[in-house]
Amino acid sequence: MTTAAKKNTGAFRLNMVSRKTESVFHLILGLFALACIIPFIFVIIISFSSENSIRQIGYSFVPSSWSLDAYRQVFNLGDALWRSYFNSFFITIAGTVLSVTMCVLYAYPLFRKDYKLRGFFSFLSFFTMIFGGGLIPTYIVCKNLLGMSNNYAALIVPMLVSPFNIIIMRTFFQTSVPFDLIEAATIDGSGEYTTLVRVILPIVKPGIATVALLTALGYWNEWFLCLLYVTKRDLYPLQYLLMEMQRNAEFLARNSSMIGASGAQAVASLPSQTMRMAVVVFIVLPIACAYPFFQRYVVAGLTIGSVKG
Amino acid sequence: MKKFLALILAAIMLLTLVPAAMADSPVQVTILLCGCNVTDDAAVLEKLNAYLTEKIGVTVAPTWGTWGNFDQLAQDAVNTGSSEYDILFTSSWNADEYAPYAKKGAFVRLDDPEDDLLAEYGADLKAALPELLFEGAATEGPDGEKGIYAVPGFKDFATMNTWDVNVTLLEKYGYTLDDVKNAGFYGWGDIFAKVKAGEEAERNGEVFYPFIFEGAVVERFVNGTPIVTGDANGLLSYYMNTEDVSTPGAYGNVIFNKFATPEFEKFARQMREYYQAGYIDPAIAIGETATDTWRNAQNAANYLISSEVSLYGYEYTTSEQRGIQVAYVMTTDAPFIDNTSVQGAMMAVSANSEHPVEAFRFLNLLNTDPYVMTLMNYGVEGIHYNLNADGEVEFTEARASFSPWRNGVGNVTLLPPEKGQGADFQQRFADFYAASKKLPLYGFTFDSKPVENEIAAVANVKEAYALSLFTGAVDVDEKLPELLSKLEASGMQKIVDEANAQLKAFLGE
Repeated sequence: MTTAAKKNTGAFRLNMVSRKTESVFHLILGLFALACIIPFIFVIIISFSSENSIRQIGYSFVPSSWSLDAYRQVFNLGDALWRSYFNSFFITIAGTVLSVTMCVLYAYPLFRKDYKLRGFFSFLSFFTMIFGGGLIPTYIVCKNLLGMSNNYAALIVPMLVSPFNIIIMRTFFQTSVPFDLIEAATIDGSGEYTTLVRVILPIVKPGIATVALLTALGYWNEWFLCLLYVTKRDLYPLQYLLMEMQRNAEFLARNSSMIGASGAQAVASLPSQTMRMAVVVFIVLPIACAYPFFQRYVVAGLTIGSVKG
Repeated sequence: MKKFLALILAAIMLLTLVPAAMADSPVQVTILLCGCNVTDDAAVLEKLNAYLTEKIGVTVAPTWGTWGNFDQLAQDAVNTGSSEYDILFTSSWNADEYAPYAKKGAFVRLDDPEDDLLAEYGADLKAALPELLFEGAATEGPDGEKGIYAVPGFKDFATMNTWDVNVTLLEKYGYTLDDVKNAGFYGWGDIFAKVKAGEEAERNGEVFYPFIFEGAVVERFVNGTPIVTGDANGLLSYYMNTEDVSTPGAYGNVIFNKFATPEFEKFARQMREYYQAGYIDPAIAIGETATDTWRNAQNAANYLISSEVSLYGYEYTTSEQRGIQVAYVMTTDAPFIDNTSVQGAMMAVSANSEHPVEAFRFLNLLNTDPYVMTLMNYGVEGIHYNLNADGEVEFTEARASFSPWRNGVGNVTLLPPEKGQGADFQQRFADFYAASKKLPLYGFTFDSKPVENEIAAVANVKEAYALSLFTGAVDVDEKLPELLSKLEASGMQKIVDEANAQLKAFLGE
């Protein structure tokens, strides 16, 4: 190995993989990154294509003619669009704040070795990861027992506690907070709440950011809850607005011969394909803009578990 | 302690007063509809509820389900036994599950011998709808007895398979509608060739496809094979007599593997020929783009012959929309009645409803009172539509925020005619469908339960081949035998045998 290392360009490449391997890695990662970004670029291009172009040559990276019609149609949605935008933001922000608070408050005692019931509560949250109640019981509890129907609570509460996030958070506490620190704080006269808020939380910020990002993405992209519990259009988040267009289109495509001629009218009144793509752009933009602010923490959050010198 | 007791007693007394006070206020009936695009129903509900309160002491609170969310909402409501909706839309196709839900006990039996809502409150309804619709609505309940579990919708209840012909374009090249009729599917080659060449020359070589259609449906048109109810994957063919749909076809009452008949092979070869000649848009052979392409071509009047499961008087609407003269050429001698079309749009009273009687009385009124039906379907005169001098409806822009699915609400013959249809349209509409004929197969539902494993396997095989064979996109010599052998290997014969056994038992009854 040492001779092989010497053959390389001196000391700089010590501890490094060979150039050949490195370029292969870069290539693979580059292709992977492309595979991630290309669909989105494609969506943007389609949203700017003219309907005619799609009719003639189908989806294409180089449409035969461009058009802003799709965006005009989206803006024509008017109140419905802005209302949904507001709903999406409201649900995401309120949901994330509540959910992260609950996640931290649940995970913290589970990390404290001096907490007697930690085994039980760990099991309690872990158990729900493996065994769910199933759709119908969940539906009955949410809708009939808790009255979550046609209100914001229906879109926020069912996703508040995520066992997965709790486990991430607990692990994060375990790897980044030495127990001695808590003891030291106690000796210094800090109460439990002060210890958590003033001493522990600043340390685990990257972990909180990771969980917050996951939760926010979850809320932003959620539409199934809306399908289940909400029929009032005033409450639709943006993602569901799109999903409804999509589901309507799919349904009519599947059943066109059954609905017959009255279905043809419905198809004609459906939002165009380019418009649906434009809505996708509207959905992705805010989250794409928010991501860079989280990124710093997320990278830290992912790497912090490793052993450091 | 005394004070406390007195308080409780007072509270109890007050509580007993509540129901008495409520008896005077109207009962609210909730409805779940399907296929609607309604964003603003305030004006409609104000008028409707004022009228209903006075008439039957009921107000309605509709949930305007869409195509996309209806199935989920209905399924949740039925499976959880919720009393959220007093009235549910239901039908026999897609997942709207009329028969299974009725069997499960989710709906109130309307002609229950012990509590016959239909006889007690539905005299108007019985008079307004053709007897045949009630016949068709009968299905097995939880007790195994046949009964009526939903109010059937009076709509285009017979299936009308038609070729949609762009007459304007046809006449431009010197042909008449009779030429299309006489030549038939197998003889359209010359017409296609001439129109294609002419159009392309005119459009500077831009490709023109004269024949744009819905693949799965055209096979049924050409071969005269109606949908076998219960055959959700389109695997089975029953050949009807297109000259007289009330009698069986040349094969008699037999069900076949759709792809294994000489008729199918002949059809597929002809399609292949048209496809290779460039008469068929390749986009309709691809599942994802098929429907959009077909509908787009129709709406842009960019076709010569297309397919449509049509309804009476539809050419008025489409001719106006597309700016051409559209004609619908029926592929059978009369519209035919099968289970699917009769059970196409119905309204059931939920078994969990707390006000089944009020719910049914509302349904009775909805299907017999033109004022209620027009409000629920077209909206408010002066807001959503205006009536012209001939008494025909002209929709306003506000219609965009209130468009329920026309057939999904109920008796469409109560509606005023639309622009261009003429004042007596509804009468002609009713007469036209009164002359439709029942298929010999009418009433038969294939129960796929005994062979569900085979069906799951066969459906996947079929999915991979069917559309491209229907549209001529693949070589018949190569792909058809391949499909047939794969179907055979997946147990197709067992399905066909089962279907025939069931059909025999049904006809023997």
